[in-house]
Amino acid sequence: MPMIRRRWPATVRAAASAAVVAAALSPAGRPLAAGADGVIKGTVDIRRSQQTTEARPASAGLGAAPRRPVEFRPAVVYLDTAPGGAFELPEPGRAAMDQRDQAFVPHVLAITVGTTVDFPNSDLTFHNVFSLSRTRTFDLGRYSRGRSKSVRFDRPGVVQVFCDIHSHMSAYILVFAHRYFAVTDKGGAFAIPGIPPGSYTLAVWHEGEVRDTRAVTIPESGGTIETSFALR
Amino acid sequence: MHSRPGLIGAIAAVLWFGASGVASAQHWPTEPVTFAGGRLLVGGDASVTYGSDDPGWFTYTDYETSAIRRVRAGVTVEARASDRVSFLTEIRAETGVGVTPYAWYVRISPLAGRLLDIQAGRIPPVFGAFTRRAYPQDNPLIGSPQTYQYLTSVRPDAVPATADDLLRMKGRGWLVRYPVGDATAHNGVATVAAERWDTGVQVRIGPPVFEAALAYTVGSLSDPRVTDNNGGGQFAGRVAWRPGPALTLGVSAARGTFVADDVREARPDAPSGRDTQQALGVDAEVSWGRWLARGEYVANSWRVPPLDAPRIVDPLTSHAGYVEARYRLHPRLYAAIRGDLMRFTTIAGSAGAETWEAGVTRVEYGVGITLRRGLLLKTSVLSHWRDGGRVTTDHLGAVQLLFWF
Repeated sequence: MPMIRRRWPATVRAAASAAVVAAALSPAGRPLAAGADGVIKGTVDIRRSQQTTEARPASAGLGAAPRRPVEFRPAVVYLDTAPGGAFELPEPGRAAMDQRDQAFVPHVLAITVGTTVDFPNSDLTFHNVFSLSRTRTFDLGRYSRGRSKSVRFDRPGVVQVFCDIHSHMSAYILVFAHRYFAVTDKGGAFAIPGIPPGSYTLAVWHEGEVRDTRAVTIPESGGTIETSFALR
Repeated sequence: MHSRPGLIGAIAAVLWFGASGVASAQHWPTEPVTFAGGRLLVGGDASVTYGSDDPGWFTYTDYETSAIRRVRAGVTVEARASDRVSFLTEIRAETGVGVTPYAWYVRISPLAGRLLDIQAGRIPPVFGAFTRRAYPQDNPLIGSPQTYQYLTSVRPDAVPATADDLLRMKGRGWLVRYPVGDATAHNGVATVAAERWDTGVQVRIGPPVFEAALAYTVGSLSDPRVTDNNGGGQFAGRVAWRPGPALTLGVSAARGTFVADDVREARPDAPSGRDTQQALGVDAEVSWGRWLARGEYVANSWRVPPLDAPRIVDPLTSHAGYVEARYRLHPRLYAAIRGDLMRFTTIAGSAGAETWEAGVTRVEYGVGITLRRGLLLKTSVLSHWRDGGRVTTDHLGAVQLLFWF
């Protein structure tokens, strides 16, 4: 049975995006169909330019802040309704979100429930990673270059991460209760392999919002379904 | 003095820009609003502070405004003409003050590595550490250190003719009247003005490990100005050293002409060269884990012309220092405390030697609760003890709600 029937207005859908992701990925899926697994692949064209998160204009500064490299902000594509058996996840893994040139790298991290994320500091300055998100609230305190602290994420949902010292630093961690998701690469390409036959809703998330959804069907024979999105 | 339409307009502008961020991202703004492909950046803040009645005037920043009873909003705009040239302005609206262009200057970064910056216009203060973090979101408490806020009995546009004139104003810095110069009653000045910025040019070199900045401005530490009022400017400089990310040490100095021409016109017989303010400051910041601690000490002296007997011969010197600490108890909650002292030297009046201003001590402690990113609720208790004046002890409470993007 589909877990989410989303026919909400776009504004409501966007505002509730964090809840949507969390709910969509809660551990209850449609019955697993017999047949060959399929792959959904395609591209997400993000028309809104990728640009570095700007620091607040600080008139109190004695000079300009160091210029930082452009930050890549990918999209995340995932199955809104996961197949049964999808929640039998492998052993909890580890992932890393670096702090480099006063930016979180990567800017978006998609993980499964139970994953521990390391937050190393690669800058010469202190950083103080924290999140006020309901999915996982934490504050790692200030620590210096070469040190790392970690957080385990046990609930599905969206976690927005900040630095308490550098207000322009922000990132997202999407915690999924299944494995049917993919982060787009720099060309916007994605691929979600190993999907059992069935009808699903494919969702595209970008910068805090569910930006588009689409119905897709994996036939009994499996195969590759190609679909592309253009976000404006 | 009040400009309610302007104040309301400025607050509306802050909320509008904030709302723009909300609309574009469909969630609470966490980044400044940008236009023209990032060449125009807009940030803002708004705060509402309400506290106890302050009969001792300990928290006033001028005769009309208490730092614990005010509504304040600011919009900062940075326009980047190129990678090396940008224009910055900050328009601030505040109860009791109205709408003022707090900052407006051009910033030039001629070297690619940004090891050199030149700023000209109404520029941020070089001296000390607190003035550049006087924004509500950078201050863990509600009050400011007394060096940067407490009104002494010194005025730039009016001076005492005798030591007795000065001693009569002891502990009454909120409304001072002297016989020489501007005869109207007006508030005295804080040692270092944090509520207004000076006009001039500054040069900074060498961040992040080592930083040196030098500025020449038309006003003085206590009396920043847009236009000159005494034919003399001020040099101020600061050197900061960051041996590691946990520690910053700074040394500041300033010297400039303080007394206005009004005084010299009123008393042409006044000795020349006795009209300056000079100050030396040291500051330190250390942080680790959930701790942040800061301290600052400022030795300051004003020279006023010795006019009539009993004359004010020695400089009017103050020594002030504070130590503050913040500890984050929870991602949404921190606790902070600041201990703050101001002491003054003695002068000889008709009745003998005594301190020229009443020493004052403040202890402020409180908590900050992050309601959500960019929305902070602070509450604090401010206790004051003063060696003179009409009210010598004052315990105040205050609450502040702050929004920023």
